[in-house]
Amino acid sequence: MALANKILLKISSALVSIFGSLILVFFIIYLLPGDPVLSMLDPSTATAETVANLRKELGLDQPIYIQFADYFLNVLHGDFGQSIINSEPVLPKVLEHFPATLALTLTSAIFSIVIGLLFGVLSAIYRNKWIDFIARLIGLFGISMPTFWSGILLILIFSVFLNWFPAMGSDGWKTLVLPSLSLGFVGAGLIIRMVKTSMLEVVNEQFIVTLRAKGLSERVIMYQHALRNALIPAITIIGINIGELMAGTVVIETVFSRQGVGRIVADAIMAKDLPVIQGVVFFSAIVYVIVNLLVDLSYSLIDPRVRRSDQR
Amino acid sequence: MKRVYWKKLLPISLAILLLLSGCASSTGTKNSSSQGTNGKVESQPNSGGDLTYALATSPDSLDPARSGLAVAVRAFRTIFDSLVVQAPDNTIKPWLATEWTISDDGKTYTFKLRKDVKFQDGTPFNAEAVKYSYDRILDPKTQAKNAVALLKPYQSSEVIDDYTIKINLATPSTAFLSNLSQAMLGIVSPTAAEKYGDQFGKNPVGTGPYKFVSWADNADIVVGKNKDYHWGPSIVENKDAPYLDKITFKIIPEEATRIGSVQSGQVLAAETVPPQNILSLKKDPNTQLLQVNTIGLPYTLFFNQRRAPWNDVKARKAVQLAVDVNAIVKTLYLDTYSRAWSPLSPGILGYDKSLENGSKLDVKKANQLLDELGLVKGEDGIREKDGKKLTLTYVDGTPNREKRNDIAVMVQQQLKKIGIKVEINITKDIASVVQQKADYDVYGNSQVNSDPNALRAFYHSTTPDQEATVKRLGGGSDPEIDQWLEAGTVETDLAKREELYKKVQQKIIDQAWILPIYVFPYTVAASKTVNGIKFDSLGYPLFNDANIKK
Amino acid sequence: MKEIVNVETTLRVPKWTLKKRKTNFSISNLFLYTSTVIVLFIIACAIFPKWIAPFSPTYMNAEDILSKPSANHWFGTDYFGRDVFSLVIYGSQDSLIIGVTSVLIGGIIGGSIGALAGYIGGFVDVILMRVIDILMTIPGILLALAIAAALGPSLFNIVLAVAASAIPGYARVMRGQMMSIKKRKFVAASCSIGTPSWRIFLWHILPNSWSPLLVLGTIGLGTSILIGSGLSFLGLGTIKEIPDWGALLSQGRGYLTVAWWISTFPGLAITLFVLSINIIGDKLRDSFDPKTR
Repeated sequence: MALANKILLKISSALVSIFGSLILVFFIIYLLPGDPVLSMLDPSTATAETVANLRKELGLDQPIYIQFADYFLNVLHGDFGQSIINSEPVLPKVLEHFPATLALTLTSAIFSIVIGLLFGVLSAIYRNKWIDFIARLIGLFGISMPTFWSGILLILIFSVFLNWFPAMGSDGWKTLVLPSLSLGFVGAGLIIRMVKTSMLEVVNEQFIVTLRAKGLSERVIMYQHALRNALIPAITIIGINIGELMAGTVVIETVFSRQGVGRIVADAIMAKDLPVIQGVVFFSAIVYVIVNLLVDLSYSLIDPRVRRSDQR
Repeated sequence: MKRVYWKKLLPISLAILLLLSGCASSTGTKNSSSQGTNGKVESQPNSGGDLTYALATSPDSLDPARSGLAVAVRAFRTIFDSLVVQAPDNTIKPWLATEWTISDDGKTYTFKLRKDVKFQDGTPFNAEAVKYSYDRILDPKTQAKNAVALLKPYQSSEVIDDYTIKINLATPSTAFLSNLSQAMLGIVSPTAAEKYGDQFGKNPVGTGPYKFVSWADNADIVVGKNKDYHWGPSIVENKDAPYLDKITFKIIPEEATRIGSVQSGQVLAAETVPPQNILSLKKDPNTQLLQVNTIGLPYTLFFNQRRAPWNDVKARKAVQLAVDVNAIVKTLYLDTYSRAWSPLSPGILGYDKSLENGSKLDVKKANQLLDELGLVKGEDGIREKDGKKLTLTYVDGTPNREKRNDIAVMVQQQLKKIGIKVEINITKDIASVVQQKADYDVYGNSQVNSDPNALRAFYHSTTPDQEATVKRLGGGSDPEIDQWLEAGTVETDLAKREELYKKVQQKIIDQAWILPIYVFPYTVAASKTVNGIKFDSLGYPLFNDANIKK
Repeated sequence: MKEIVNVETTLRVPKWTLKKRKTNFSISNLFLYTSTVIVLFIIACAIFPKWIAPFSPTYMNAEDILSKPSANHWFGTDYFGRDVFSLVIYGSQDSLIIGVTSVLIGGIIGGSIGALAGYIGGFVDVILMRVIDILMTIPGILLALAIAAALGPSLFNIVLAVAASAIPGYARVMRGQMMSIKKRKFVAASCSIGTPSWRIFLWHILPNSWSPLLVLGTIGLGTSILIGSGLSFLGLGTIKEIPDWGALLSQGRGYLTVAWWISTFPGLAITLFVLSINIIGDKLRDSFDPKTR
């Protein structure tokens, strides 16, 4: 029962975070210079009256808190407003482009996790051997290379020179390869470093020594106990990284011309399309909070200590 | 061992040889077909197929009345037909209208219409529809853009009978017929327009050879074959239903990706080939390059004459003499675009060829002129007067269409030599910065148009009322130019008309109102399997004859 | 302790405890030295580019456009005819300014928030941390994007945006430091002799908490440069006469098939710089961390 309470607490905490981010997003966009009403109308036919009418229609003449209240109520009904550019409703548009971004994020995440765990573990086990250095180098490069550069390099090598993979597009598995390699490389770097450090920390702790004293084989100790304990900080990183991954899609989708949510954001920002920017940033905040909630809840499954403390 | 080896090798090498020769012969037949720059149609064009055509920017709307972008026209020219068509020699030929008469005072046009035309939604095409389409453009609820300027001086029309319509103009205009041929004055289905209201731009219905299928937001626009079509204009060979099953217009803003997609086969054609790729494409055996000159107003920089010191012709001339347009055209466009010399582009009625190679680079004289204005070079090399530095605010839009932003960068460097500090302002908000507040010293623009009367919108002075809503680009005003432009609108004698427009062009250049930069050639990179893409007199692609070879 | 060591030696000799780090002394220190040299070189480029760059970065040679890297132009020329090597050297200025300034601003603001929260505790702590949490729900780049777009394209606004995305990290660390140091005996001692709180804060707590801040700052510098150049790449900076690395890379994108060098070298510069910063940062962290000493 205490577990259920804890879950409830976590969910409500997440909801507060979502609400808070909604406020934050709304007010940041409110600071936008430039009059959105003016950029919507055609100046050669607009009169002062038309401008005033449109402003009233959009509710932009109301004080800010009323505007926010309206927006919030609409959001609860699933209405995220309409794009300034072409009057497209925001939420359906975001949902339409979400699959492409989701595919990219998932593939990149899988790639980072596989490479990250693999090299992280190897690096910890064979510490100071050459494989450790390779892993550390991969880790360092992963977090140091800007994704727009690694993306362009991949395009140059695999698309322009070798012509193995396409440099653009959002359909078919081939178009996913280069973008997710580029995006996933960052996460791989983070995970390698994190796994290695936490495994090494754990390995020097008392209980490992005890296990060794009991006669367990090295392999069992490393893989079953040390790794398990190292997973928790690793999963935390993955959770945080999902957010970074989604943000990274803005750049990657631009470089690879993919029709995803990141692309919408980049275009909307250049066009100062408030409702779309608000909608997307808010949407990603929701996803991020949900993912972290799941990560949080999964701790209980992995680490028995956490489970026990939850039940106290 | 060796014997077995040879036994296996022989048949394998034979097979490989056969395969290779098969490939060679099929490429052989491909190369033997003739392909002119305007795609001559072969005797047996293939039916069917989906032409994927990559556009450089996203169309704003498929409603011809509400669209302001050339890229949108490229898509909706397939959906809408016009009353008349402009032939390559700039004469007007029948299309949806079979014949017409013009009253002596030039203010009344009576058109007889074709009787066998249907809209894509099945409703009949008639005089009512024509009246509806044109009245709609003037209706403020439609929020029409460029179409309004094109339609002027249309006032009203009367339906005489189902297939006869009388159109009344407020004042005579020789450009009227030419404007009617443009896609933006295409005839829309009244039933559909009423039904969709302001969403007509996403559900367009016309009489064209292709009908609208779908438009995924910011992504593909799909149009499909209109089987009932048989009223094509005289400038295309296939007057009946088109050969292609459908055309998919994809939107790929990144130059490298757009052209790369043609070379990799992901799309069959892509527009606006960047100069650095034009040369490499010519060597590619699988692709062809189609090129046609667009007519209208070339890309020119306008000085905002409302702000000092650009209201003084000396200051403007100084800039004109110091900007090395040849270097710009050579560097950015690798000489694949031609330099513009006049407010009009070559090929349009009245173009003044004598202006070509007229202005020469003269940095010394430029410096002199600025000295005469009392602008003295300071320590940092920038001129100043009365404590104020000589700055030039160069405004341009985004994205970097046709490398226009890069022109600003080059101009910035070049004007340093005469002591002008150029500040570049790239903004998406052209509407308020340029049109509303006129907050610029230099801004560039171009326009695709069919008749030199288009000059009026830019170079004829405007009333304070008009200025209140939108400040005309440049703001230059000259009574002589006004007079010539007004005369040009109503002059029916071709030679006299040309004379008038030549005078206008010469004075504009003489007074340095503008700095012409480049003439835009519309380029299309296409797979060699694509055949039959033609271009109208404005340089817009026509797909009536288009077909894909298997 | 002794028994456990004996148990280890009799049962098994784990490689990692016995092998001294000294055998790999040369390699990891080689990395460190190279990194320091790279960082110092790039800082030198930013401070006096004129001495290092062979050409003026804005000089456009129309005769020599898009030429391959050669003896004359080490990194080739771009489509204006400018020398890419000089552009990269001069471009370091803006890139570094963005990185350093945003870390300083973010660090000061974030650190202050965290310190306040940790020191005062209670209600203030809860509220401030809530705000920080909310800031964290929006991933760094996205937040920076939104702010940069809201404020308009300019160098300063990119700095603000990147700083904003860095604030939560510093706030958290400072708060943690605050809370642990607060409990130390010498603070209680100072308090008991009547030292005013602000004095304790400035003279005792602050000096003891700077080490994790330094590590965070070093690695944060790398992240800031990555985010900052990313924003430039997306076009959120102004068009400057001398583009920063991100903007330069973006300019080269359209020319990948004909001139790969325009995009490749600025990216290389960013990577090398951030890489070196990270190596140095790692070393700093290792030297401060008692466990790995």
